[in-house]
Amino acid sequence: MDVSGRRSRRVVVTGIGLVTPIGAGRQVAWEGLLAGRSGFSPVSLFDTSRHSAHIGAEIRGFDPDPWVRRIDRSRIGRASKLGVAAARMALEDAGLDPDSLDTVEPERAGVAMGTTSGEPLEVEKFNDRYIAGELDQVGDEIVSVYPCSSIATQIARELGFAGVNVMIPTACAAGNYALAHAFDALRAGKADLMLAGGSDAFSRITYTGFARLGAIAPERCQPFDKNRKGMIPGEGAGVLVLEPLDRALERGATVYAELVGYGLSCDAHHMTAAHPQGDGAVRAMEQALKDAGLGPEDVGYVSAHGTGTPTNDKLEAFAIRRVFGASPRVPISSVKSMIGHTMGAASAIEAAVCSLAIHTGLVPPTMNMEEPDPDCDFDCVPNAAREHRVDVAMNNAYAFGGNNASVIFRRVE
Amino acid sequence: MMDEVRRVLITGAGVISPLGDTPAKLHEALCEGRSGFKPVEVFATNGLGPQTAGEVRPFEPKSYLGERNLRPVDRTAQLLLAAAQRALEDSGWTPELRKQREVGLVLGTNFCSVRTIAEFDRRGLQLGPSYVSPFDFANSVINAAAGQTAIWHDLRGVNSTLSAGEASGLMAIASAADLIRTGRADALLAGGVEELCFESFLGFHRGGKLTGGDPVPFDARRDGFALAEGAALLMLEDAESAAARGARVLGEILGSGSTFDAASDGASDGMAVARAIRLALEDAGTAPEEIGCLSASANGSVEADRQEARGIAAALGTRAADIPVTAVKSMLGEAVGASGAFQAVALLGTLNDGRLPGIRGLESTEEGFPLSGVSAQIRNLGETRLGLRLGLINAIGSGGHVCAVVLGRIGGGAA
Repeated sequence: MDVSGRRSRRVVVTGIGLVTPIGAGRQVAWEGLLAGRSGFSPVSLFDTSRHSAHIGAEIRGFDPDPWVRRIDRSRIGRASKLGVAAARMALEDAGLDPDSLDTVEPERAGVAMGTTSGEPLEVEKFNDRYIAGELDQVGDEIVSVYPCSSIATQIARELGFAGVNVMIPTACAAGNYALAHAFDALRAGKADLMLAGGSDAFSRITYTGFARLGAIAPERCQPFDKNRKGMIPGEGAGVLVLEPLDRALERGATVYAELVGYGLSCDAHHMTAAHPQGDGAVRAMEQALKDAGLGPEDVGYVSAHGTGTPTNDKLEAFAIRRVFGASPRVPISSVKSMIGHTMGAASAIEAAVCSLAIHTGLVPPTMNMEEPDPDCDFDCVPNAAREHRVDVAMNNAYAFGGNNASVIFRRVE
Repeated sequence: MMDEVRRVLITGAGVISPLGDTPAKLHEALCEGRSGFKPVEVFATNGLGPQTAGEVRPFEPKSYLGERNLRPVDRTAQLLLAAAQRALEDSGWTPELRKQREVGLVLGTNFCSVRTIAEFDRRGLQLGPSYVSPFDFANSVINAAAGQTAIWHDLRGVNSTLSAGEASGLMAIASAADLIRTGRADALLAGGVEELCFESFLGFHRGGKLTGGDPVPFDARRDGFALAEGAALLMLEDAESAAARGARVLGEILGSGSTFDAASDGASDGMAVARAIRLALEDAGTAPEEIGCLSASANGSVEADRQEARGIAAALGTRAADIPVTAVKSMLGEAVGASGAFQAVALLGTLNDGRLPGIRGLESTEEGFPLSGVSAQIRNLGETRLGLRLGLINAIGSGGHVCAVVLGRIGGGAA
């Protein structure tokens, strides 16, 4: 085996599957993002009357069940279903038949997925019974359905993928971590096709937590706006098909973008608050650029973490200025202004955004921008999508635990 | 840098287990054939299921971590913080050294703390959402233990959490080794953690997975596993950087293989195990004949143990007939995300002094059982024909994840 040859394999994005609060499927979701559609509505999945917040970004009008065809639907959780749906969409988008992968051996097809909470609805069901004194009704769901690894497991079982399989639950940066893991597996020649992304289900646990932190905005998410009031919890799934460039070209696939590098770091500072000088975020961005052999001046679009909380956006802007200079000219937007914070899926969906920005020459807006914040003084593509040629895009994600991850995509000529 | 394959050395280890809180104590207990099972005290079993488990008791976090405030840190993170403290001390990564250079962490866990998550939710339901604790919410994410450990021990490098069922801990070690090999990191703590709690215990019990007595991996009478907890971490380091700081070397990670068994429940044939072993041997540049012993994933489960034996036999060919095999879960129990890391720490002890623990309680195997090298007795492999340079570790998750790692004794191995 030519290890050195495989290690230098170039890795490209050839398929995109999206399930978002503003629509499912690459085309629908992308058009929605370019049109500035909003996915916010009153929470319908549980009672928020005792909460301090009532708005969420739920998946509505999309039933993942028909996408789950081979495995037992009754034994898998919502995040797994959303993940399976996005995975099937991504393969179809890549021009591959999800039910007969004739161009790839199953042993060389793998799955790397990220999540914040795995299948938290299983814990909620467990607790409903616990509190009702019905423990005798509890089965084995906490060990068979709940564990987060079941998301990657169910996708692989549904599709018959027998290669590398891993779940990376690094919270709100998990999608980027999964992409990084898949990138390395492909570069090292451990796989010839990887499905990589993230998935999370809307849950009262997550919602309760963010509400208690006072982090949820009352109506809408306004990243980088002076009067921004918080984030909006959401749900969704994003899956990318990654494969070596030579194989993609061989089968005549559409190449959206090339994944050219990543950087991971840890603040080692606070569980829920970012480092005051953005140290970890800066290191992740700088490492990613170094890994890609690029400089900040090469970057034509940044997909910001941009949650819309007063602190996150301020610190992220500070970190961006440390890397890109005092007055960055690069467009920087946050699609969380439309689809909310889809947790472990967020950076996977945003990786699709970066790939599509490169592919289409359009960048999605930061919606709900009314009054610019001097602390976030850069071009956030306010309120309207824009035609803009992007050769290199940077995808930033930050998480509880101080986890930071930046991933870089580049145009393939 | 990226294209250069670097050697990955083990320069320290830390373990908090039902059988001791140092690698030496754990190895000694396993060699003596002691079991770590005791009446469960860390949670109320409510009379449900077996009444014993591999509990870490006594566990006094302050004896490892000093007087710093442990209140915001749950049991999972406390177990991990203590193991990390020990691994950092053992490897000589002082706080001063960690200020100068980045150390990272790659952690395997299946549940992180499902107890913390469940208690957070119950509090919200019973008292109202405004009465939940922000501390608990911070700990409810599955990467919480890794994040808390980074903060506590100032680990500013890569910080990742991997979840692959019972293969989580070993896969974290394999993944960390790859990050070092390819130049993405110089020094990483890698291993796994899991805590015993009612939520997972009840789930395993209701799933019919737990034995009523002591687990006997590979034995014809096996009827399930014993649940356990703990944390184990290796300090993995690039050979050059280890040499530069004059680190003592305990062993080497030579290669790994990860596969997935895509068959639905009950249809597995062990071939994912065989593939993982073959990939690990290939990655390590070695062959079945060179492997001195094997630490099996077998935990007493009826079907999974059978599949593993079948997979080992398929991968190792003629060597399968005589390779010495141990199954430490006969004494440690199934610590889920921590198990593979426990096995790695234990096998380091074996490679160091040649003693391979027996499989506690093993009397007889099923007809047609393909591995002749299983034994209830401790064996001294330093005296075998092959000597002892390389050991193989299997970790198999019930969700289909398989990982195999080749561990080397220093002075042996692929060099």
